[in-house]
Amino acid sequence: MKNRLKKVGIVLFLVVVAIQFYQPVLNQNPDQDYTNDFIITTNAPSNISKLIKTSCYDCHSNNTDYLWYDYLQPVRMFVEKHITDGKKELNFNEFGSYSNRKQQSKLEAIGKQIKSDEMPLTSYTLLHRDAIINEVQKQELITWINSIKQNSLSEK
Amino acid sequence: MKKAIILITIVATLIACNKSTKSEKIESTSYENKSSNNHDHQLFACSMHPEITGKKGEKCSKCGMELTEPVAHSKLDKNSEEPSLNNTKAKVGVLGADTSVTPLDYVNDIVICYLNLKNKLVKDDSEGAAEKGKILLASFNRLDTKTLDANQKKAYIDIAEDAKEQAEHIAENAGKLDHQREHFILLSKDINDLIKMFGSKMQLYQDYCPMANDGKGAIWISETKEIKNPFYGSKMLTCGSLKKTL
Repeated sequence: MKNRLKKVGIVLFLVVVAIQFYQPVLNQNPDQDYTNDFIITTNAPSNISKLIKTSCYDCHSNNTDYLWYDYLQPVRMFVEKHITDGKKELNFNEFGSYSNRKQQSKLEAIGKQIKSDEMPLTSYTLLHRDAIINEVQKQELITWINSIKQNSLSEK
Repeated sequence: MKKAIILITIVATLIACNKSTKSEKIESTSYENKSSNNHDHQLFACSMHPEITGKKGEKCSKCGMELTEPVAHSKLDKNSEEPSLNNTKAKVGVLGADTSVTPLDYVNDIVICYLNLKNKLVKDDSEGAAEKGKILLASFNRLDTKTLDANQKKAYIDIAEDAKEQAEHIAENAGKLDHQREHFILLSKDINDLIKMFGSKMQLYQDYCPMANDGKGAIWISETKEIKNPFYGSKMLTCGSLKKTL
């Protein structure tokens, strides 16, 4: 029995080592063009831009600040999945290229997600403590988002 | 031997984990595929014997010639006074290959899909709304932008880009009624603008709920004069007012 456990342990270890070789392309683009970037196109004040960059850009832009354990499998797969999903939903680097209607919808959705604490994800803030948005910051953010939003939902 | 089995199992599990992200992607695009499959439902008739119909490539049972003439289908709701919302699916399957379909037919089709979705939300049916969201998404993909002029096309793409995303969210969030309703607020605005742009074949009403959207108010489109609130459903079914007749 003991022998068998040992064997299983060795196999598991080997598998963990083996999957380390699976490293998908990193979400890093040093040559990123920022002309369509959210912060640039909306002319965000510095406190807001810092907040959004720390709390959102890891998954919602073309550049992720990876931490050392992000390179380890299977964490890596988990992280990449989140980034792919996040960028599909909203890519701040491409915000300016969205149609006006889509931009308005996105602003609406961003405000709602922050207000209801759905974003940033708990699984993300668990390890990225600096990404947590406190109540004061939350109000700042929401007020700012509302200020740049055209009052579009009430019928013209 | 046992070792090998364990190893294979673990490797297989890992591969499966990786693959799952891929298969999700395929699922999300499969709506689009479905809409193109509608071409398969197009019937063709024999050029000599128009009463013989079948799929493309089949041969006429009378003369053995290939069936080449596309069968023209009656357009949506041309004759019926009342739009029969439940029959959309059957009807939309016929669109697509029919060249005589105008943009208004497509838009009408989209509107019907939207109304079906709205009625599910009125009933607090989250699963049903998700399913109707999927159908709505397909109806947007079916519209052939080549049938639009340059101005229409630009406006349509603008609306559709946003509306499709809302529909997709509604489709993917079965069980989260509140979330679906948030997207429905944005979707309703898109549909309203779509109708403003293209007009409508049926009598529609624009209703307004002052409480929805965190008290900011929101509109929805309805086919009935009677108020049935899709943002709150049974909680506040008759809350809202008729804003205008479209």
